[in-house]
Parts: sequence; structure tokens; C-alpha cells
Amino acid sequence: MTTLSVNGVQREVKASPDTPLLYVLRGELDVMTPKFGCGLAQCGACSVLADGEEIRACITPISALEGKDVTTVDGLPARWAKQKGLTPDPERLHPVQQAWVDEQVPQCGICQFGMMIKVTELLEHNPKPSDADIKAALTTSGPSPHLCRCASYAAILDGAHRAAVLMAEGGAK
Amino acid sequence: MQTPDQIDTIPADGLSIHGARLSRRGFLGTGGALVVALGLAADFARAEVSAQGASLNAAQPSSWIEIHPDSTITMRTGKCDFGQSSIYTAYRQIVAEELGVPLEAITTVIAGDTDRTPDGGGTFGLLRNASTNMRKAAAYTREAVLALAAQRWGVARSALTLRDGVVSGAGHSEKLGALVAGQDLHLAIPVEGKLTDFRGLVVTGNPPMKAVADYTIVGQAVKNPILRPKVSGQLPWVGDIKLPGMLHARTIHPATLGSTLIAAGKLDTAQFPKAKIVQLGNLLAVVSPDEWEAVQAAQAVAADTKWSEWKGLPTSEKLLDHLQHRVDWSAVPPTQGAKKGDVASVKGAKTHRASYFMPYFKHAPIGPSVSLGDVKPDGSVTVHTHSQNPQFLRMALAKMLGVGEDKVVVRTYAGPGHFGRSNGGNAGSEDEAVLLSRALGVPVRVQWMRHDDMGWSTQSSTAYADISIALDAQGRIASYQATHSGPPMQDDRPIGAILAGLPVIDPPTASNPSPIHTAKMGIADRWVYGAVEHVAETGRGTIQLGEKESLIKVGLRDHSMRTPVQFQQNFPREVAMSEAAMLAGKDALQFRIDHTDDPRVKAVLERLKLEAAWDTRPSPAPRTKGAKLLRGRGVSFMLRDNGYWACAATITVAPATGEVKVERMVLVSDPGIVVNPLQLKRQAQAGCLMGVSQALHEEVSFDEGAVTSLDWATYPILTAQEMPDLKIVLAPYAGAQIYGQGSESANALAAPAIAGAFLDATGKPVRRLPLRPDYVKAALKA
Repeated sequence: MTTLSVNGVQREVKASPDTPLLYVLRGELDVMTPKFGCGLAQCGACSVLADGEEIRACITPISALEGKDVTTVDGLPARWAKQKGLTPDPERLHPVQQAWVDEQVPQCGICQFGMMIKVTELLEHNPKPSDADIKAALTTSGPSPHLCRCASYAAILDGAHRAAVLMAEGGAK
Repeated sequence: MQTPDQIDTIPADGLSIHGARLSRRGFLGTGGALVVALGLAADFARAEVSAQGASLNAAQPSSWIEIHPDSTITMRTGKCDFGQSSIYTAYRQIVAEELGVPLEAITTVIAGDTDRTPDGGGTFGLLRNASTNMRKAAAYTREAVLALAAQRWGVARSALTLRDGVVSGAGHSEKLGALVAGQDLHLAIPVEGKLTDFRGLVVTGNPPMKAVADYTIVGQAVKNPILRPKVSGQLPWVGDIKLPGMLHARTIHPATLGSTLIAAGKLDTAQFPKAKIVQLGNLLAVVSPDEWEAVQAAQAVAADTKWSEWKGLPTSEKLLDHLQHRVDWSAVPPTQGAKKGDVASVKGAKTHRASYFMPYFKHAPIGPSVSLGDVKPDGSVTVHTHSQNPQFLRMALAKMLGVGEDKVVVRTYAGPGHFGRSNGGNAGSEDEAVLLSRALGVPVRVQWMRHDDMGWSTQSSTAYADISIALDAQGRIASYQATHSGPPMQDDRPIGAILAGLPVIDPPTASNPSPIHTAKMGIADRWVYGAVEHVAETGRGTIQLGEKESLIKVGLRDHSMRTPVQFQQNFPREVAMSEAAMLAGKDALQFRIDHTDDPRVKAVLERLKLEAAWDTRPSPAPRTKGAKLLRGRGVSFMLRDNGYWACAATITVAPATGEVKVERMVLVSDPGIVVNPLQLKRQAQAGCLMGVSQALHEEVSFDEGAVTSLDWATYPILTAQEMPDLKIVLAPYAGAQIYGQGSESANALAAPAIAGAFLDATGKPVRRLPLRPDYVKAALKA
């Protein structure tokens, strides 16, 4: 048994310790927002935060995550509420998610779960990033670029800037 | 209080509504609805019995549009969403507009599922032909509601209007829901076609349509309601569906595109105790209730599996040579495109003559194909998947299994965009999931790995073109001649069915009776330079490369991808236009304006000139001595589905390294009526950048037996860091009567504009894609 902290909840996991996190999240824990894209850490569709740092769930064994807080897109609203001391509200999205709606960012949307994780990581460290900062975060800061086949990069930049504003304002509706 | 039967007087045989028929099946104590269903001629209804089966039954009160007593509305379409948002935005806008209700009244959109939607057909041309079904259904419904109210109030129908969900006139006023409450109303509308055909059913007749000048909802920047559940994680994706007892499968595809199975590898049951091997002909798979075990076990078995050797492909390095010198283009009859005057009679003062080449592209969805098949002991089949043409997939699955179409249901979910790959039904894994489920008696989820999706899906086919442009003494085009040659673009055979040796529809051939599945090369690129007096365009087709030689009749299977065929024909034409302009000593943009006689082409190009701050001058660009970077700008044009699109690209070229950087893209579009400017802009931005990706990076590599572009390292696509400045200008012409269409033109425009900019920057043409360093350096040396 491995104990994982996923979206603020301690979960007991039966899978062997060398199992990549992605298969445990989706198969055993029913946490479905990280998507299978390549299994090679080449695309970013499976990204999650581990202690606030973006990692690729498709290649990271759960043994490497014991004692770390794993956050997926499902857990972003609670993460934000905790950071800001807000009372839980099922209607409230994380500012990055809200910005993705406001700016109508996704086309098909499969990459956006990883994009939102990456932009959350960026904004937690750099609350007012430039275009160049956002592009660098999405391209060179991780194991591989975060790829969007629909090429919604212009919308993603708009979304990241909007999220920065929402976070500075202290919350999303 | 009066009951509806006391005040409504619908005749027993119903009311005629512009060729549709409104009838009342009865009265209901509570609830009630007006439902709009298919009206079928008697012969047609008989022919359709098997296909309709598990679908909305045409003979039952099933619906395209349902008006509920609370005035909310449900609409249904067989089309799906692939990220365009159109079925949730534009379609709702069109229906609300035509019906006369607020947009918010349409609370539910049911899409794609073959048992819950009425019309079928592929998800393409969403605003071109496909939206006409919904629009006409809405118009028939509006007229039926007006007729109902006129009957109830004993007034003339012409005295009544339906606006904002309220019928009023002649001193009466009533909400839509109140008019239908308590009744079981049924509106049968006329249709033709076949549900499980490629194009599905088409609503016929001519109900009165709202005047474009009166539009208030079409044209609004409506947000996509599906995005909130998408980004919150509430919306189920195709790969997220689970069923009790489900097994995870990984298919092990052959070593080459022509190999047969000699011996399946051994499964180490000590290491993988829950896993099992399944073999159906050449279809090999490993299943397990544990997905990670299935992945590992399949990898181990694959390494130990023996396939026959096969070499039947020319290799990507020798592809152009193969097309030019080894394909027998006479085996498939040629087709004629634009033809006027007599090109042979023209002797130009100067002639531009060149060949242009397009590699194979991959649709390359970020998520590899995944499906969940569920074959029940009674023979009923459900497949949960993400398809652009669920009814056509249903037909193909029924054919494969040898069962009636009434036994098969296709359910669709959100999934990764794959840009045309499944508009003929399958995206890859559906048939494998169904076959494995049938063999094992439990639901089976097949998730392709990245290498399966790259190596075993279809691709956008290669093409080359020979272009000859004669210029007169004044530098005007005297004649234009083009021959476009390439394999076909629409192989809809499911791969698992082929591997298992089961029945499939025919691959593209010259004699295939289905026009979309022909091996003939049609001319898709509309001729827009009408001032040219002598024009001749010819298309030459062939069968798919390696298919005939393949022991399993596979080879390089091809499928349409964003502006299929037109992409492959527009690039040569538009790059040749830029080259001809340079040869004539003219500005590339003005040269295009000077050769068109279509005011919309001219208007879009003039607008582009302004928006891009185009510096009118001949190419090449003046050079700064000693500069390490050469900068240039280029232009391209496309007319597609009545949408007029133009693009200007600014790039730099580093001759020392061969590196091309795109600095700026400006798109101007006159697509006709813009239904939703917000969504169109987002589509055009993304489409344009996907086009930049194709222009700079994309080419499928393959050796003599198999595709070797198997991941994102060997098939790179554009990254965020490479994103240029982007400007999208929507400039519909006044008086447009047709809905905006052709947003995928944004994809196709990038490559010829970038190649035109390369010519401007360097003075040298680049006549092939992609503009990656090795090809760029070769072009500069030529």
C-alpha cells in the first residue's frame, strides 16, 4: 500500500509502487482530468502539481510521490480556496479555470488540463508574467513543451493574462 | 377553464405546414410537448427500417426540436463537437433565431449519439450544408406554432408573430410553452437520404426563412456553454468512460503496413497474472483488468511477436521521385478543373515552370484513439467513442460484424480534435474495441498508445503539382496550366476489421461508386484569378501507396484533413503566383488583385494590404548588407465554401542555419454571415497557427515498411514559444446571405504565405514543405 495525498485527501493505493501516477489517478482513484497523451513526457496532457511543481503523471512512479501533495485540475478550486482562506463553494472555479472560460480558451481542450496546471504553477511563482514568460513556461520549463494540436496558443496567452488579473483581484466568482 | 381540446381544432389528418404536417396524438394531463420528427415517404420508411432501428424511430414522436411546457427547448443533431463549438454556439443561435426564441431557451443540445439524434452525416461543413437541417427544422417548427395559435384563437396565421418565445397578434399573446402544454403534438418534416450514408439525412422543402436583415441572435459573440464543464473536469471525456467488468486492451499492430502474423509472443503469466492474449487473424491484443499491466504485458508480448517481413513503400526520402517517375497515373481517369481559352496556343514572353511537393501529414491528435466496446450476449453492440460521423461508423461496424445496423449504437463523447480523420466514421480503435468485446464477452476499452496512433492511423495524403505560368510582355499572366497528382484522401476501412479479415467497405479506387471514396483527383481549389484568359487545370489520381503490395491490403492509408486536397492544390498555385509576380517584377499582392475579376477577392486583398501595412514593391526584399537574418513578407489567398480568406506572413530566414522564424501572421476573412465572431476568431487563430506548424515542421517519415514518425520527437509540431504575432480581421461583405464557413482555410493559408515570404526574403523559391532547416538550406543552394 502506498499513501498518496491527492487534491488534499489522503488516499490508500493498492497499485505497485512503480506504477506511473497517471494510471493510479485514472484507474484506481477516479481522478480523470489528467489525460493520456503520449506516455513519454513529451506533450503535457497528464500534468499535475506535486508540491506546487508541475510533473508528468505518465512517467512518474507513485513511489516518488509519497509525502507530496498532488493537485490535479479537479483540485484547483480547493487549492485556491485554501490559499485564500475562502469558504468552500462548489460553484467557484480556480482563477485559471475561470479565465479559461472567460477567454474561451479551449478548442478541443484535451491539452488544457496540462496547460492550466502549468499556468497555475507559473502564476504561483510569477503573479504578473509577460508574454515571453508564459511562452517560456509552456515551452522550456518542463520535461517537454506543452503541446496543443489545435494550436490554441493565442487563446492560452489571453487566458494566462486574464488569470493573473483574477488572482490579483483575489478571487474568481 | 377551457381544456385544449375545447379550443384547438386540428383536423384529424393534421395541418399542412409548408409541406410538413402537424398532428396531435392526444392530450396529456400534465406536461406535453411539440416534437419535430422525421417525415418519411412510405417507400423510404420501409427501406429505412433496419437503419433506424436503434435510432430515434421516424414513425415515433421523436424530435429534432422539442418545445417543453416551461418554454425550454431541446435540440438534437447527429453532428459532434471537435472543438469548433458550433453545435453549442452557432447551431443554437441559428435555431433560436429561426424559431423566434431567446438563445437561453435552448437549454439542451443532444449530439452525435446514433440512438438519440435524428439526422446522421459527417461533422464537416458545419455551417455550410449541415446547419441547413437545423435551420429548416426550426423554420417548420415556428410555422407550426403559429398555425397552432391561429387555430386556437380563430385568427389568421398572418396576423401572428413569434418573437422572444412569445406568440402574439390580433389581441392575443401567449408563451411558446403554454401553447404546447397538455398536448402530444407531432410535427413531421420532409427528409431525404439515408441515415447511415456518408452524408446522412437532409431536410427538404422550403419553409419560409427569417430575413437576414432581421437577425438579432446570429452575429452575437456567444460563449460556448460546454467550456465551463470542460475546464472544471465535470464533462466526461471519451477515455473516461468505465463499465463494470471492463478490460483494458492494448493492441499489438503488425511490424509493417504489409506484414502478417507468424507467431504471437508468449505472455509471462508469472509477471502478468491478470493479463490475457487475444488473437483474431492478424489482430493481436493483450487485455487485463489493470491498465498498467495491459501496457507492460503488451510491450513484452510485442517484443516477442514474429511478423512476416514486408517492404512495399518508397520511403519518405524518395517519395517525390516515386510520385514523379514510378506511379502509373494513367490507371485512374484524369479530372478537369478550371478550363478556359486554349493554353497550348499561348506563347508567353516569359514562363514560370516548376514542380511543388507536399509530404504526408498526420492529424496527430494529442490524445491517441480510445474506444470502449460493449457487445452483449443478445448481440447488441454499443461503442463509446469520439467520431465525426457516428452513423457511418455504425454502418461500418454492422458490416464488419455481419449484423443489422439496428443492433449497433454509437455513443459519442468529448475527445481530442483529429481534424477530419473520422469524418468517415472510425478514428482507429472503435472496431478493435468491438471485436475484442465480442471475443471476450465483456466490455473492452482499447487505448492506442502514441506509436499506434502515429503508425496505424490514416494520414493526409501527399501530392505534387506541375505548374506553368506564361507572362505576356507587360508582365500579366497570359496562361495558367496546372497538373495536380496524388493518392486519394478517404479510406474509411476500419483497421481492426482489416487485420481480423472481416468485411469492410472498399478502399478508394477509380471505380468506387461512392463519389467521396474515389481514387480520382478532383480539383478542389477554386480558381479565383478570373482575369486570366487561358486556364487549364487537371487532376491525376492513383491508389494508396503500398496498398496493393501489402499482404493485408493496408499500406499508407489516407484520410482528409483540414481543407483536404485543396491544401495540396492551393499551396502550389499560391506559391507559383508569388513566383510569377517576382518574374514579372510586380508586387505579389497587387499582382493577385490585378488578375481577379471577383469583387470579393479584390476587397479582401485590399483589406489585407491595409491591415498588414503591406509595403507594395516587387520581390525580393531589399537587403541590408551583411545581415545574418533575411526578412520577407508573403501573401496567399483561398476561396473555400463561399468564404474568402487572405493571409500575409512576415518571416526571417537565417541562411547559415536554415532556420525560419515566423514573426507575424495577418488573416482577413470575408466568410459571409458571421454567426459568432468570438468563436470564429478563436478558430481562425488556432487554425492559422496549426497551419504555421504544418509549414515549419510537419512531414510523416516512413521507411520501406512502416511509418517512422511515431512520437512528438519524430513528428514535431509548433510550440507556444514559436507563436508569431497574430491578427485576425473579420470583414464580411455587406449583404451576405450565406453563413460563414471555411474557417479551416486559416490552416491552409499559412504555408503558401510563409513560402511567399521566403521567396521575398531570399529571392529563392521553396517548393516543398516543411520549411525545416535541411530543406531550407537545399532550397537556398538550388
